[in-house]
Amino acid sequence: MTTSAPTLAIPGQLLGPASKYQPGPGTHLHESNLYSSLLGQVHITQPARAPGPAKRLTKITPAPAPAELPTISVAPVRAPSSGSAATSGGSTKKREVLPEVGNVVLCRVIRITPRQAVVAILVCGDTVLDAEWQGLIRVQDVRATEKDRVKIYESFRPGDIVRAEVISLGDQANYYLSTARNELGVILATSEAGNTMYPVNWKEYRDPETGLTELRKVAKPY
Amino acid sequence: MTDRRRINGPAAATIPPFFEDAGLQELKSAKVRSRPPNVIRKMYLKTGVTPSASGSAYLEIETSAKPGVSGLKLSCSVHGPRSLPRSSPFSPHIVLSTHVKYAPFATKQRRGYLRDPSERDLSIHLEAALRGAIIADRWPKSGVDIIISIIEGDQDRETSKSQGEEVWDMMNALSGCITVASAALADAGIDCVDTVAGGVAALVQDAEDASTPSIVVDPIPSEHEKVLAACCIAYLPTRDEVTNLWFRGDLPASDMELYTSLVEKGVQASKYANRVLVECLSETVG
Repeated sequence: MTTSAPTLAIPGQLLGPASKYQPGPGTHLHESNLYSSLLGQVHITQPARAPGPAKRLTKITPAPAPAELPTISVAPVRAPSSGSAATSGGSTKKREVLPEVGNVVLCRVIRITPRQAVVAILVCGDTVLDAEWQGLIRVQDVRATEKDRVKIYESFRPGDIVRAEVISLGDQANYYLSTARNELGVILATSEAGNTMYPVNWKEYRDPETGLTELRKVAKPY
Repeated sequence: MTDRRRINGPAAATIPPFFEDAGLQELKSAKVRSRPPNVIRKMYLKTGVTPSASGSAYLEIETSAKPGVSGLKLSCSVHGPRSLPRSSPFSPHIVLSTHVKYAPFATKQRRGYLRDPSERDLSIHLEAALRGAIIADRWPKSGVDIIISIIEGDQDRETSKSQGEEVWDMMNALSGCITVASAALADAGIDCVDTVAGGVAALVQDAEDASTPSIVVDPIPSEHEKVLAACCIAYLPTRDEVTNLWFRGDLPASDMELYTSLVEKGVQASKYANRVLVECLSETVG
């Protein structure tokens, strides 16, 4: 098939052979052909071109072959009808995404127990989720070092906004999250007096009005 | 179980009696098919009708010219993908739940507000038809609800209850349900391998040539003397796969060719419906 890929696709439409494109979001592979699995616009993104073959003094190593295939993907033209009435139709909007393993998410702490903190996942990557998904930060996933000394109530409090990474799809109800990295942890905290606090070091937030400090697993500012 | 919370109308609606001989004569002669045997009725399909749902579609099938015969009107809304209820076990793929409900006024026999077994049956068939089309593992740990209301149930008010067996009407309704649900799923942005559409074919006995039964697509029971057998098929055209097959009727077991030709006609009917579906979807993105 030598014709160019179509600009609009409906589910089940042939997009091209797998030898020509790499499958992206919204497509699927069937018998070495790529088909659309969504209704929307077809986007073809050229691979980030490597700066030519790497030149060495003695030999020229060719760039890896599979990276040269452009990625073909299908994105819905308009978001699923919910709440899209206000936004202008026709513009490509990102579809609703699910938290996946490895994603960095923003969540709000709902309740804490000595063993875990239960959170509600609000934002996944750059998208605000339509549905609210529940997550769990277990005590051993709070930080990378001195795991046995971690106390949940010295790391999170209900109402805090936490940046965390998804480490597992978890059980039936919860995604399992981790804050065991410097840039992960509490990014917004309110004190017991109800004021928004500022971070002072990796484990403390200070209330600007009362001057008292509270313990948190503080995220390193970007 | 009876519904005691709401005030229900009388169980069955009747038409007022009329005593005119000429009219009766006309009724008798009206039992002919208005289309060629391999043509389905005209269909209207539109997506994005319910703003609050993630995806929705509306399907209308042409009302027959004969008075008192209603067409098929379906409204489908898709909610999700959303998180599963807390009690349900872990699922690595999307959990599909389908609900088909007749409006109380959709059929001759007034329907209750609670789901009855025939509606449950339709839901199960619909779920089987859609499950083959959805790429379920793209959405782990989530569920999608597909809710179809049958607003008008494709029935002839004038045929007596004994003659018009209800299952033939259910098959027509199911094929419509499959088509409309497929459009709504595409509207909701849930990954599907193909657009699935439903089609019905039937072996009918016509009034004038009583000897040879013939196969027609998209049968209306009131247009034929007797429906001997029918099958409803959900078909994926680009994959050339059948996801659901519902066969009902009385055929001689020896004649295998009759079975296959009936299925083939059903596939053909679903291809026609799929053309409408593809046209409708291309309109929404175009």
